[in-house]
Amino acid sequence: MKAADFSFKRYRKFIIPLILLAAVTEGAAIVCGATMEKLETGLARGFAFFGYMFPPDWPAFSEMLAPAFQSILIAFLGTVFGSILSVVFAMLAASNLSHSWVRNTARFLIGLERSIPEIIILILLTAAFGLGPMAGIIALSLGCIGMIGKLLADVIEDLDPVMIESMESVGANKLQTIVFGVLPQIMPNLISYTLFRFEINIRLSVLLGAVGAGGIGYELDYSFNMLQYHRAFTAMLVIIVMVFGTERLSYVLRKNIKMEGALK
Amino acid sequence: MIEVKNLTKSLPNGRRLLDGISFKVKKGEFVGILGASGAGKTLTLRCLNGLLKPDSGSIIVDDEQGRKHDICKITKKELRHVRQRIGVIFQGYHLVKRLSVLENVMIGRLGQISTFRSLFYGFTDSEAGEALLALEKVKIAHMAQSRTGNLSGGEMQRVAIARAIFQSPTLLIADEPISNLDPSNAKTIMKLIRPLSENIPVVGVFHQPEMTAKYCTRVIAIKEGKVIYDGDPKLSNKRLEEIYGEELGQVEQYEYSSPVPVMDSEIKLL
Repeated sequence: MKAADFSFKRYRKFIIPLILLAAVTEGAAIVCGATMEKLETGLARGFAFFGYMFPPDWPAFSEMLAPAFQSILIAFLGTVFGSILSVVFAMLAASNLSHSWVRNTARFLIGLERSIPEIIILILLTAAFGLGPMAGIIALSLGCIGMIGKLLADVIEDLDPVMIESMESVGANKLQTIVFGVLPQIMPNLISYTLFRFEINIRLSVLLGAVGAGGIGYELDYSFNMLQYHRAFTAMLVIIVMVFGTERLSYVLRKNIKMEGALK
Repeated sequence: MIEVKNLTKSLPNGRRLLDGISFKVKKGEFVGILGASGAGKTLTLRCLNGLLKPDSGSIIVDDEQGRKHDICKITKKELRHVRQRIGVIFQGYHLVKRLSVLENVMIGRLGQISTFRSLFYGFTDSEAGEALLALEKVKIAHMAQSRTGNLSGGEMQRVAIARAIFQSPTLLIADEPISNLDPSNAKTIMKLIRPLSENIPVVGVFHQPEMTAKYCTRVIAIKEGKVIYDGDPKLSNKRLEEIYGEELGQVEQYEYSSPVPVMDSEIKLL
């Protein structure tokens, strides 16, 4: 085939799939009532709305600091408890440390957790803990299991099997094998995943805050509902700084983790 | 002393991997097990410290109080007790790479200290001193604080030996301890293992008949799961052919086609 071959023959295989895709898209739009007019009016309204929000309500800024700090704390506590839970789940879900039925049960629970969004976990938890940070922290902790637990379990399964055997053959029990063999080897991965998860949890804690876990998300939601758009804008700015800041921090820290002697 | 009697092990399809292996190793002996790949050497060795359960047979070892245990008919708890005093050196270097050299040596005593203490890496000063002494014996005490992952292959194998020494073992097992080392490192490792056999029985699997001839006190050859030779470490060429098959000793003739004519002097260098 020549480099500059623009013949019909070359492109005709795309025609039918493209027509099909267009038809399905159009059908989907009609079914859920998405039209071009709505997009146009909506966009116009959106820009006008942005106008109402500007300028931010600077005096409200100092009121935002405490809720922002609360959001960060919710994310922090959720990450700490979550990563501890995840390590336990990861060990239960690793075939070289657990019996197959324990492993399969743990893998099933991890998969189940991953399929439930944190926001649904929070809604379920508010029935037990009521609205507030406690439900948020637990929701975020459980949310870690699906990600950190799964990734760590795979790292543990990749550990050198003879290394574990060599510890068993000096008479070490399972707990000792974990403390001396497994934990040191998975530590860089654990720290890296935990930092990454903290980044995600910051964003989630804002979202969960709006649903009822308190913190800066709640401030944003509340300001919107009270039609205090300037105040809402201030909250948004604080959130952007918070999210961006933790992302950079987590990135820099993760980049500097020494992976010597570890997997990957 | 370790006494192996009539070990057998078969695959589910009926193929015999071990077919009545028996031998005795006394204190003061350094026994090298030779055999072609797949002959059952490593399998035998894995039975010796209970990593593998044979179908039948018995393996009698003494613990530090001189009591006899049959590894083949032992509870899990007893096995852990016996293993405390069985030093094992594995092929390759299966140390915990992110721990320090000293900590890797300490692992040798895990079976002997309480679980609670080990959770906090709580080794006493005298234990640390003994571990350092073990490292001195293998001549890498100066590296005690280095990260194990940064060591070379020969150094790591020395740490493995130090770990075994630190166990104060009543039996030492070595599974191809020199297989992935260069000749000079291999010699160093053999020289370090040899004196250990003065006080305890040492059993090792090797692929280097010239090494076992030099350092072992006795050689056992295994072929198709049976002991076919047990005796003097110096083997005749005929015996080696018997162990490894007919091809050994015959240098294969390659059709050598070099794009550049090779001078005689260069061939000598090669």
